[in-house]
Amino acid sequence: MNLGDPQRNDALAAAYVLGTLRGRARARFERLMRGNRGLGDAVRAWEERLLPLAESLPPVTPPARVWTAILGRTAGTGAVPGRPASSGAHVGWWRGLALVSLAAAFALALALLKPAPELPQGTLVVVLAGEDAKPKLLASSDRSSRYLTIAAIAPIALESDRALELWMLPDHGNPRSLGLVSAVAPTGIARVALPDNAERALKDIPALAVSLEPSGGSPTGLPTGPVLYSGAVKRLY
Amino acid sequence: MASDPAKQLERNARLMELLARTALKDQQAFAELYRAASPHLFAVALRILREASAAEEVLQESFVNVWHHAASYVAAKSQPLTWLTSIVRNRCLDQLRRREVETITMDDEEEGVTIADQGPTALELLLAGADAHAVKACIEALEPAQKQAIALAFFQGLSHSELARHMREPLGTVKSWVRRGLERLRSCLDRVGVTR
Repeated sequence: MNLGDPQRNDALAAAYVLGTLRGRARARFERLMRGNRGLGDAVRAWEERLLPLAESLPPVTPPARVWTAILGRTAGTGAVPGRPASSGAHVGWWRGLALVSLAAAFALALALLKPAPELPQGTLVVVLAGEDAKPKLLASSDRSSRYLTIAAIAPIALESDRALELWMLPDHGNPRSLGLVSAVAPTGIARVALPDNAERALKDIPALAVSLEPSGGSPTGLPTGPVLYSGAVKRLY
Repeated sequence: MASDPAKQLERNARLMELLARTALKDQQAFAELYRAASPHLFAVALRILREASAAEEVLQESFVNVWHHAASYVAAKSQPLTWLTSIVRNRCLDQLRRREVETITMDDEEEGVTIADQGPTALELLLAGADAHAVKACIEALEPAQKQAIALAFFQGLSHSELARHMREPLGTVKSWVRRGLERLRSCLDRVGVTR
């Protein structure tokens, strides 16, 4: 691509924004654009000319699962629950946790999640363990909250083309997805939105489970991969 | 979305504020941004990809990207919805690129039917969009074939060769319609001072 000719650059920018610049030429143009301010400005000018035309499209509300998935991938990466800055220091320490009793794991993980010395208003917790009964994940929520926070309490291995999906396991009927919680791997925190506040959303849900799914989550709406971790819903009130 | 200029201004100010707060990792602002912009962005993706699951995936990827890179919006100096639309459109076009590699052959007849069957035509949308943005005169000044080719490329994501098949014209002819149409649109818009 010759970048000397401003008229040609403008034509390329127009084709890029319109979408007719395709294939390898498009990828090459994107690379050039990053290093060339004039080209970037030309693209922005064409975006301002053409993209507002798209506002004539009748809006379509996306299904709720899209937002749930977005939340599953963004919650926990921000300032709100956040990873403790010193999480690296905790890792080695947590590794020994499998040896500690389940009850102790509860107490310790709760202390980490709620550092303030306030009395909880009523907390739901779920310790999710693998087949070896070692606790791996802790899910918790205030009973009035519409979010469930899931934290790794031991390192979680996850391949980049796989996802972890969290499910409610009702007494009767099929598991219901709460979204992706891949952000817990390897030692992080994920947050998922509940359909109602935790008390009501998990009322008839005795247990939660996490399954291994293709990236993007289960294509069928039901768990397709192996169930890696599961645990009973406990109410601390 | 809003076509009344005062409402548009108000909406843009609101979206800018939400983007700024999203850059500070404000989850509530991010949720509100999603509520405000996702129906428009989903419509854009659906139209180009013509497949709900692919459009959902693009929307998801785009908003995850917005969450991580909202701070770069400030540097982009664009209208907020334009910035968001460009993210979604670029991801859609990437998807199409991948699809093109996978399925090279496509039945021309069948393709013609799919495109014609979807709600308002691309041309109607182009005119409606122009109406809303006072660039109507410039869009209308284009030759009918230029208008049609630009509308199909913009709204349906058709490539030059797909345009040629769809419009049943040689590739070179279609390419020059698009190129000349864009040049004409630009000089007309520059004259009336539409570029913001």
